[in-house]
Amino acid sequence: MSVVREIAAPSNQVATFDLLRVPALGRFLRWRYSRIAFQVPLLFVGMLMVAHAFWGPQLAPKNLAALLTWVHFRGLVVVVILLVGNLFCMACPFMLPRELARRWFHPRWNWPPALRNKWPAIVLFVFVLFVYELCDLWSDPWWTGVLIVGYFVAATVVDALFTGASFCKHVCPVGQFNFLGSALSPLEVAIRDKDVCTHCKTHDCIQGRRDHSGETDMSTLKRLPVIQRGCELELFQPNKVGNLDCTFCLDCVYACPHDNVGIMTRLPAAELTISGTRSGVGIFERRFDLTMLVTVFTFGAVLNAFAMISPVYALEQWAAGVTGLRVEWPILSGIFIVVLVLEPAIILGAAAAVTRWGVATREPILGVVNRFARSLIPIGFGIWLAHYGFHFFTGFLTVIPVAQNAVIQAIGQPLLGEPLWQLSGFSAAIVFPMQVGFMGLGLLGSWIVAAVIARDMSPTRTWSAFAPWAVVHALLFASAYWIMMQPMDMRGTFLGA
Amino acid sequence: MRFSTLGRAGLLIALALFAGCRKSASDTAAIKVDLTFAPSPPTVGKISATLTLAGKNNQPLSNVEVRLEGNMNHAGMKPSFADLSEEAPGRYVGTLDFTMGGDWFVLVTARLPDGGRLERKIDVLGVQAR
Repeated sequence: MSVVREIAAPSNQVATFDLLRVPALGRFLRWRYSRIAFQVPLLFVGMLMVAHAFWGPQLAPKNLAALLTWVHFRGLVVVVILLVGNLFCMACPFMLPRELARRWFHPRWNWPPALRNKWPAIVLFVFVLFVYELCDLWSDPWWTGVLIVGYFVAATVVDALFTGASFCKHVCPVGQFNFLGSALSPLEVAIRDKDVCTHCKTHDCIQGRRDHSGETDMSTLKRLPVIQRGCELELFQPNKVGNLDCTFCLDCVYACPHDNVGIMTRLPAAELTISGTRSGVGIFERRFDLTMLVTVFTFGAVLNAFAMISPVYALEQWAAGVTGLRVEWPILSGIFIVVLVLEPAIILGAAAAVTRWGVATREPILGVVNRFARSLIPIGFGIWLAHYGFHFFTGFLTVIPVAQNAVIQAIGQPLLGEPLWQLSGFSAAIVFPMQVGFMGLGLLGSWIVAAVIARDMSPTRTWSAFAPWAVVHALLFASAYWIMMQPMDMRGTFLGA
Repeated sequence: MRFSTLGRAGLLIALALFAGCRKSASDTAAIKVDLTFAPSPPTVGKISATLTLAGKNNQPLSNVEVRLEGNMNHAGMKPSFADLSEEAPGRYVGTLDFTMGGDWFVLVTARLPDGGRLERKIDVLGVQAR
């Protein structure tokens, strides 16, 4: 069953391509400051975006904060996750102020046990999606700037107060998005040789490397200063499975005294077929918070795209007519509750009930839902990719004239040339087949994952277990396909147009 | 030294206030700008745009160079431009291409006969997809 075991060579050395073995690139990535080398340029870009958000033109198409956040950042995140891995978390600029803050504020508290789960991040994920629609963040540079600054402040404050990577693991909604999406990535931070880990006594990859200077007494060793921290997300490399909760920070690579951690190629989405305990995560199929996170991720993808087409405005106007409401937030709240709570509860509950009946099991409905929840990730990611990819591929070149215009407005001289406003990207006609392809791949991935889960659940009635979930995935694909077929109708006006 | 710094700051503030109070070459705040489209409400595609400019006492403003720039509210879309020509005194016409349905805004840029420059942002909400 275990994919890790299936791809392991007889010598226990994992027989895959290792990015850290690539001559120049691998040496650079193993350098302990390589992450900072990625973060500093992004921090600089982030500061430029904040400055332009507050002091630049308050017109989204001419503002670097709005453009880079809602077109380039979102688009590049999903494309890079698909092609490489969770590189945004690796280069996350929000972590640099946090590292600086920790020079003066040594966190004293552990993250509260009641919040050692994904619920804080789920609430924030939904909150950001809601505010994005309610306040039309895509068209508001100033509030986009507030969001970026708020992110910097939240990451710094949380990690200045609490030990470990509490913000990344429990709070950051972008991080959770990247964790789930990177299940589809071809790269994973993983060990090279299991035997080396088996004989390892110090476990520096999670404990951190200490300046032991020949000290062998373990009780004394733990009191010595850490010179290279281990994984702050509590992922113990030999038991780590997949990319969930992995920020690609490479602390484990820097800490391992045996040079036994690499960035390995693997089969995308294969980690979703693995059951059982995962280091730092526990048992995926028993964690309802992970089921909810996956649900919000998947149905949120449909909702976020649905909010960009004209039927949503017709729906809001109908709701306003029925209820007499003239403010948007209660109506939008209703739509969110229907799409993110009621609809998943009905659809996933019905699929689980049919599965129970089909395989004649007494497993609770919630247990079946938890078991199959991870099969939603590929189709969910496919829909995000189709949506964000549309904006990115149709507008990736617009950053050139906007940057040219920003330079002119800042210093009065066209140092980058006059704005080339005719630049945009691919035409929508070219991008649409790509969108369908992304969603089709997602559907295929979901079907494969669900088929493996169904086989594990009932080897004799695999089809009975699989069919209801295949229908759920097909419904998600069909609804997203219908949405992408609609003319994009990007409005920010409620009852106004 | 302290006085000197304070004095410089006061001078800067005075200069800024003076600059802010100074009347521009052309007082454009009173100019009335009216933009209409045919069909109305506007639809996706190239459609006719008509702009009327009137000064004080509703006097039509002639001999103005007028340019429209249409943008979507969402970033990442290519803007559309249109140079308008004067069809009648104070009435300028041209064609603007709305490439997608949704909320747009149009930036009106005009160079007035007295050398002044007029800039206005006009929201065009709900351009209808065909």
